[in-house]
Amino acid sequence: MSAKPATSRLGPGSIPVRAGIGLRAEHYDAVLETRPPVGWLEVHSENYFGAGGKPLDYLERIRVHYPLSLHGVGLSIGSTDPLDKLHLAKLKHLIERFEPALVSEHLSWGSVGGRYLNDLLPLPYTREALYHLVARVSQVQDMLGRQILIENVSSYLQFVESALSEWDFLAELAERAGCGVLLDVNNIYVSARNHGFDPSAYLRAIPRHAVQEIHLAGFTVNRFEDGEILIDTHNQPVCPAVWALYRQAVQRFGPTPTLIEWDTDLPELAVLVKEAHRADAILEERHARAA
Amino acid sequence: MPALHELQRRFAAAVLDGDDGGFERHIRAAGLSGERRLQVYRNNSRLGLTGALEAVYPVVRRLVGEGFFRYAAAEYIARHPSRSGDLHEYGGLLPEFLESFEPAAGLAYLPDVARLEWSYHQVFHAARHAPLDPMVLASVPAARQGDLRFRLHPAARLLESFFPILRIWRSNQEDSGDATPVDLAEGGVKLLVFRPESLDIEFQPLEDGEFHLLRALSEGCAFAAACERAMAAQPDFDLPARFGGHVARGVVTAFDLPDSPFSNH
Repeated sequence: MSAKPATSRLGPGSIPVRAGIGLRAEHYDAVLETRPPVGWLEVHSENYFGAGGKPLDYLERIRVHYPLSLHGVGLSIGSTDPLDKLHLAKLKHLIERFEPALVSEHLSWGSVGGRYLNDLLPLPYTREALYHLVARVSQVQDMLGRQILIENVSSYLQFVESALSEWDFLAELAERAGCGVLLDVNNIYVSARNHGFDPSAYLRAIPRHAVQEIHLAGFTVNRFEDGEILIDTHNQPVCPAVWALYRQAVQRFGPTPTLIEWDTDLPELAVLVKEAHRADAILEERHARAA
Repeated sequence: MPALHELQRRFAAAVLDGDDGGFERHIRAAGLSGERRLQVYRNNSRLGLTGALEAVYPVVRRLVGEGFFRYAAAEYIARHPSRSGDLHEYGGLLPEFLESFEPAAGLAYLPDVARLEWSYHQVFHAARHAPLDPMVLASVPAARQGDLRFRLHPAARLLESFFPILRIWRSNQEDSGDATPVDLAEGGVKLLVFRPESLDIEFQPLEDGEFHLLRALSEGCAFAAACERAMAAQPDFDLPARFGGHVARGVVTAFDLPDSPFSNH
C-alpha cells in the first residue's frame, strides 16, 4: 500500500463550471498521456468497489490532475428492500479515499426481494413512493455524511398509479430530503418523447438552486409498426434537439457543471473532448451574457 | 392501489420471469403497447447481465461463439439471478453451471477455462499486500518454524485441471501470436494466478510439490504439515528453493505463529 494517496493534497474542492467527461477504462492511458483539456471527470462508483488492482491505481493517478465526481449506478435507492449497507460502506470508503466534489445516485430502483435487475427502473410517482425516497435519500446522506445529487432517468413506461409528474416528484424530493439534482437533459428529452410531455415544462418545474450538475448523452431510436421508443444508450453524440434543450437548461439554471456521458461503442477520447468543448461554448455564451 | 413494494415485485417478475399477468395493467396506455415497453426493460436487464458475463469470460465466449454464449448466458441468468448492485460480483457460478449445462457437455474443458477466467477476475480486483519481511521470518525460533501458518497474497489463486487450460487461454487472446493448435490430450496443468506489485497478472505453471505446498498453506495448514503434503506429492521436490522463491515474489505474504508474539500481516 502506498504511504499516502496523492489525492490528499488536492482536497475535494469543487467541480468547475465547465464541461467534463465520463472516464472509462478504455481511456485510462490516453487520459494520463494526453491530459485532455476538460474541466473534470466522472466515474461510475461501482467500477472502483474492488479491494485493489488497476482500476483504483489508475483512478489515483488520474485524480491528481482532475476534479472528480462519483456517479452510482447500483445502489437501488428507490427499492423497498433494505439499503445495502456493504454497498454504502464501499461507497463511503471510496469517497474518503478520492474526495470527490460531487456524489450522485439515480431516481430509480433496481432490486426487489434480493434479486437485482442491474438497471435503472422508474418509480410510480405516488405520495407513498415520495416519502419512501425522502427517507432513503436522507438515510444515505446521513450514512455518507454528505449531500448527494439525484438524477432523473430515462423511462419507457409510466405507471397508472402515478399521481404526480416526475418533475414535481423530483422537485419535492430535493426540497424535503435536502439533496441536490443532477439533471440529465438527454433523459428528459428521451422520456418526453416516450411519454409525450413538454420537456420545457420539466425544466421550469425544477427549482433553480437545486441543480448542481447536468448530464448530456446520446440515445437510440427503436422503431416499430405501432410507434417508436427512444432508448438511453449512451452510444453516440448528443443530438441537436438535446443541445437545444441544454441551452434552455443553461438559460434557466445558469452555468452548471456539465458531463458528456458515453458508455457503449466508445469512440476515441478526442471525440468526447470535442463534445465537452461544445458544451463549454454554450456555458461561455451564458457566462458572457451574465457579465 | 398496490403498495410500492408490490408494484416493484410485479415489475421485476414481468422483467425477469416473463410473468406479465400482474404488471401490464399498471402501465399507462399510450401509443406503444405495454408489452413493447416491458420488452425494453427485459432487454436492458439481459444485456447488462450478459455484458457482465462477457467481460469476465471472453475466452469462454470465443470458444463457444457469440450465439451459444448468449444462449448459455440467458439460461444462467434465469437460474442464477444477480444478487448485487455491483455487476463485478456477477457470474461466479458460471463454471459450475457449465458443468451441468447439457448443450455444453461435449466441451469437457470449458468449466475449467471458466474457472481460470473467474480467478483472473478475482485477482484483478483483489487487495494489495506488502511482501513478507525475511528478517521477521528469520527471527522465528527454528524449533517453532513447523508451527507457522502462512497466508497467500489476496491476489493469488491456485487452479488444477486435467486439460491444458493455460495453453487454451493463451491461444485465445486477441493479440495471441500462438497459432499452434492445442491438443486437449497434451496433459493438464497446476497453476498459480498471481498479481504482483506491477499489477500485471501472471500465470505460473507449478510442479506438483509446490502446488500442494501452496494449496495446503492457503487452506490454513501448519508449515510442517504443508511440507509433508508437498513431499508426499513429489518426493524430489526442492522445497526450500521453491518456497523461498514464493516468499521473495510476494506470493506468500504473511504468517501467524499460534501462542506467540510472532506474526506478520
